[in-house]
Amino acid sequence: MEKMKLKMIYSDLKPDIEIIENELEKALYSTSHVLNDASLHLLRAGGKRIRPLFVLMSAKFGHYNIDRMKYAAVPLELIHMGSLVHDDVIDHSDMRRGRPTVRSQWNNRVAMHTGNFIFGRAIQYVSQIKDPKAHQILARTMVEICNGEVIQIEDKFRLNQNLKDYFRRIKRKTALLIESSCEVGAVVANVDPAVTMRLKRFGYYVGMSYQIVDDVLDFVSTDKQLGKPAGSDLLQGNITLPILLMKDHPKIIQFIERASKGIVTEEERLEMLQIVRNSDSIQEALKVSDQYLAKAMKEVEQLPEHPTKKKLRDIALFIGKRKF
Amino acid sequence: MDATYIKNHIEQLKKDIYRYVQHKTLLKYTGNPLVDENQLFYMLLPFFNGDHWDDEKYEGIITVGIVQASLAEHGLINEYDATSKEQQLTVLSGDYYSGRYYEILANSGNISLIRQLSESVVLRSEHEIRVYEPRQYAIDDWLDSITVIETECISRFYQLYNYDQYLNIMQINLLILRLQNELLNYREGNSSLLLQKMIESFVPVDHLNFEQYLLKKLDVLIQQLQELLRISSIKAELKQYIAERLIR
Repeated sequence: MEKMKLKMIYSDLKPDIEIIENELEKALYSTSHVLNDASLHLLRAGGKRIRPLFVLMSAKFGHYNIDRMKYAAVPLELIHMGSLVHDDVIDHSDMRRGRPTVRSQWNNRVAMHTGNFIFGRAIQYVSQIKDPKAHQILARTMVEICNGEVIQIEDKFRLNQNLKDYFRRIKRKTALLIESSCEVGAVVANVDPAVTMRLKRFGYYVGMSYQIVDDVLDFVSTDKQLGKPAGSDLLQGNITLPILLMKDHPKIIQFIERASKGIVTEEERLEMLQIVRNSDSIQEALKVSDQYLAKAMKEVEQLPEHPTKKKLRDIALFIGKRKF
Repeated sequence: MDATYIKNHIEQLKKDIYRYVQHKTLLKYTGNPLVDENQLFYMLLPFFNGDHWDDEKYEGIITVGIVQASLAEHGLINEYDATSKEQQLTVLSGDYYSGRYYEILANSGNISLIRQLSESVVLRSEHEIRVYEPRQYAIDDWLDSITVIETECISRFYQLYNYDQYLNIMQINLLILRLQNELLNYREGNSSLLLQKMIESFVPVDHLNFEQYLLKKLDVLIQQLQELLRISSIKAELKQYIAERLIR
């Protein structure tokens, strides 16, 4: 249902998204059977493809040509995919999007090689673009994503962190890649620099909202909807916005302490979910997400008149209101 | 030029690689990037031999070293349990180095080398994952895989800058060094997964066991290398440096 809504928003881009989908499949082709299986397993697990979508929509404000834009759109999705494969090793995750992860189906080493293969393909693909600016944006983003993850590991189970720590972390973890999708799309399509800057900021605000909603969904969705146990973020020690907003709750403090020792029972997990769901922190977190969305909308308003403006607005709203 | 001169340059290159990927947290938990001095020697070989050399090429070999370090870090990940903080940060150090090589080359606009190195990462990953393929490979396929794993990044650098004259020497020498290393580990009972796969593929010929086969193979490779060195136009001191590092 959610995916249907998204598809309706970008219906006029459908042929181009199909091109991207085919290119992704081609990019992931390997002479290795294991790599083919692992990559196609990831590809077929779906995903919203919002990063390529942002690349293409931003490019609409300039000289749009899908034969050129695919060299920017495909790598953005590949970088996202590759980092998920490696994240699953770090988090020891067995399930993603309702399917076994590469590491659980094969092993950690296979996941490392698969991630490296995908990153390699991403860079190989984008090297068709000769403008160094596009590469500088992407490379900086890859480095910053890692920095964000290093900080995330450092911050695990640490309750004495503030909102600033959280925002800095999610900026690097998620917002930067969406911001870069918009910026790279604009740069490759030679969009006017002032417009490029607005698109970049739009991507940043949408990305922040996206991650906050993601963090909320981890508590309010069912295990089935998430394709993994609800509350997994907290079980792994990631202190997200809903928790930061109620970090003085004695039960939460106790839960984090037990989670850090890896001794949480299923009963305790369900109890924690109930506490978070019944608290104000979910609504408070969604308010923060809405504030970012409002900022994103403001950027859209100031873009030049173009049919894509409405789509950017719709996609931002979809992201803010999505259910999983 | 003597061995000290060569070693000093290798040491300097190593320091420069460390400097380019310096990261406080990663350094604390995962240490310096893993670099192989034999590989560094071959990255510098065109410079030692007096070929045209400039800042672009030096920066190029720094990034070649960073790519190798990135993949070497990921080789340290435990197959089934990477949950310790050190292991988690080892995953990230490899990713961080991979981002840094791309960033360095993007900042200097060297898109050609970006392309070459990304292709080498793809090819290396395809060969490294072979040990997990259900398919049976012949022993020569495994030797090809070792060659790709040990030399592909440097080969791409040579090809881009027309240093083809060193290609065969580098490939054979790095293959020899890796096989010698594998043989030592085998004798100590610490065979790598790759060597175990080689043993599985081994079909005894002329009553040779696996160790005897490997020794014979090494002899052949060393002879090939010596012949290549004999006919090569590289400086005599460099030939001597390479020859002195071959354990027979």
